[in-house]
Amino acid sequence: MLDKIKKDFNTMTWVLIPVAIAINVVMGEIVVQLKLPVYLDSIGTVLVGALCGPWAGALTGTLSNIIWGLAIDPNAFPWWPVAFFIGYMSGRMANWGFFKSWWKVVVTGFVVALTAAIVSTPISVYLYGGITASGSSFITAYLLQTGQGMISAVLSTGFLVEPVDKITTSMLAFAIVQGLSTRFLARFPRPENVSTEKGGKTELFIAVAVVVVLVLFAAFMLRNLMGG
Amino acid sequence: MAIVTLQNVTYKYPLTEAPVLQNVNLQINEGEFVAVIGPNGAGKSTLCYTLAGFVPHFFKGELTGTVEVAGVETHQSSLNEWVLNVGLAFQNPFNQISGAKYTVFEEIAFGLENIGVPREEMKPRVEKALALTGISDLADRSPYSLSGGQQQRVALTSILVMEPKVLVLDEPTSQMDPIGTREVFGVIRTMAERGMTVVLAEHKVEWIAAFADRVVALKDGQVLLDGKPGEVLTSPLLEEAGFGISRYTSTARKARELGLWKKDQLPITLEEAVEGFSLTSSPSPKERGE
Amino acid sequence: MHERLSFYVHRDSPLHRLNPLTKLTMVFAFILLSFGSPWYWTPHILIVLVILPLSFVGRVQREYLLTAARLIFPAAGFLFLMQSLFQPIGQTIWFRWWVLEVTHEAVAFAFVNAARIIVMVSSFTLLLLTTHPSELMSDLTRRGLPSQFAYVIISTLQIIPQMQAKAQTIIAAQRSRGLDTQSSFVKRVGALVPLVGPLVFGSLVEVEERAIAIEARGFTSSHAKTSLCEIPDSRFDQILRGALIVSVILAFVSRLWLS
Repeated sequence: MLDKIKKDFNTMTWVLIPVAIAINVVMGEIVVQLKLPVYLDSIGTVLVGALCGPWAGALTGTLSNIIWGLAIDPNAFPWWPVAFFIGYMSGRMANWGFFKSWWKVVVTGFVVALTAAIVSTPISVYLYGGITASGSSFITAYLLQTGQGMISAVLSTGFLVEPVDKITTSMLAFAIVQGLSTRFLARFPRPENVSTEKGGKTELFIAVAVVVVLVLFAAFMLRNLMGG
Repeated sequence: MAIVTLQNVTYKYPLTEAPVLQNVNLQINEGEFVAVIGPNGAGKSTLCYTLAGFVPHFFKGELTGTVEVAGVETHQSSLNEWVLNVGLAFQNPFNQISGAKYTVFEEIAFGLENIGVPREEMKPRVEKALALTGISDLADRSPYSLSGGQQQRVALTSILVMEPKVLVLDEPTSQMDPIGTREVFGVIRTMAERGMTVVLAEHKVEWIAAFADRVVALKDGQVLLDGKPGEVLTSPLLEEAGFGISRYTSTARKARELGLWKKDQLPITLEEAVEGFSLTSSPSPKERGE
Repeated sequence: MHERLSFYVHRDSPLHRLNPLTKLTMVFAFILLSFGSPWYWTPHILIVLVILPLSFVGRVQREYLLTAARLIFPAAGFLFLMQSLFQPIGQTIWFRWWVLEVTHEAVAFAFVNAARIIVMVSSFTLLLLTTHPSELMSDLTRRGLPSQFAYVIISTLQIIPQMQAKAQTIIAAQRSRGLDTQSSFVKRVGALVPLVGPLVFGSLVEVEERAIAIEARGFTSSHAKTSLCEIPDSRFDQILRGALIVSVILAFVSRLWLS
């Protein structure tokens, strides 16, 4: 087990992790500056997960979160387990072959989103009593008003908010991998995770369509909730 | 005594068909300064990586033939043992900064820390290396705050401090301005004068002419010429094969066609050119009728 | 934000002179105490009577208070507000506003949570203000942390400001070509691609050469690593660490006892 993990940490991995953390932080900041309705602060984490396995992904996520918490938003601090599992899960999914084509990457994004929602629930409920310093807590508050239980309100909020962000994140990470040469990718511990299957253009369209529908759905829900 | 021996070395990068090195045979003696020239894609960098052990240990791929440095064969060794014998510096100075250190002094000690040199030994070694390359005054600066030429000298010092038996330099000045180039070649000159075994891949022929004991010309992964700088660099084969050659050589060759170059040997340095042309261009006082 | 990744302030103080591990133990002890102690006011007391005075002991009070005012307190304040307004607990209603009920219990809960966030981030900030990252990392490496972690942490701290600077240059260039953050959603998404592409690919392509460079300097060497700088660890440090650990254990034991 330990030897297997060690194999995932070659020199390329150690050099990639700081770059990936920087991508997380800088992308997160740019997205805030451009006022986009997503976070996109774990593209680097997913990238490391896919190329170097779950544990490297988990390490990248955790460190990104700590740095983000110290330098940008202190409220992000307690959420490091979520970042850990985003990295871990994207690595697991990639190991299972779900990082090889657009639609599979959408599945990965969705599973990562569910994981994030599930892991953040106990933190939200036990540490914060359900209401955190994030804007999505408005949704939780609304759901609580409608009489939902605490855990289900927090979990529903997570399921509503996470997929758009995590699917977009995974797709962007996949787009980055597509832009890198096979010869370069071959230096990482798990190049077989990202050896692309031929899917053709239609697949990309389906994947994009899924994301667009999800975005519209989320926007619709948000408007309804906030408007009400 | 040969410290580097390459026998029938052929190498293919992974996922490629064509070999980058083909049947390369090369023997380098201790203390020799060998320059490797060749057009882009001739295999200069690959040869450097092979000498430094990154081919095949880092790049994988398929290496046949034998590569031996200081009596050790590459297939029988691992990269982290190999780097103790062969030091490598390459083009981009920025990418050679470890990133793990805040000052030049610490940066240079990085390699010593990695190979477990005791602390008492570390400081004098770093100080000696800094003095050798003339960058003692940069010791407390951040490596990222330096100019390209300074960064490249830090990179060279970081390798030299580890006291490798062979120093491999892959176009260390290709991204430098003229000032940076001169700074870096200043360090290389010191190495040459101290009798270090140096392999330098370089296309700045004027500099090669000034330092090298021997020049190896690579073309399509094969050794085209191997000999004294004066012979190799003035060989007509070079220009035909698309090598960059010294402007002194090309000028003198044209001049010879016009009968203005009287010596047998074509020049490779400014001094030789001046000396050669002085035979023709400045007529003696008698000829001028004084 | 650019200057904020090099938190360290080079000064001489008792706090600067403490062993890095002692300070790290202190950070975790404060965080655990603020969560684990059975006494409601623990985090508040920690802030006022321990962390704030410590910033003076470390002669970094100015930098600490600045960070607190700019980053920590606004964040904690926002959390406090959100929880006071939306927390659906408690019967003692202080006042009602629109659909919101502000209860005594919610405010009390929010007040302790905000304090915990302040303790968490403040104690880390103090550690980073008074400890040079390479000192911290070499001390931890000496104690058995794999040296690759030290590489990752310090390299990250140096890469982020470099990439931020690049990103800002690109954003400025985009702005001069007519992008502004008020333009339409599609335009802003469109702006992301030319912005992020060069940034991301540029930094990724460098990974290979940088890996070669550190390999050439024995990064994966199997030798036991040594360290250039020597970090003192006094008897006082060891006692302090012991005391901190004992206090955390006591807090948790008393909590179990009382429940």
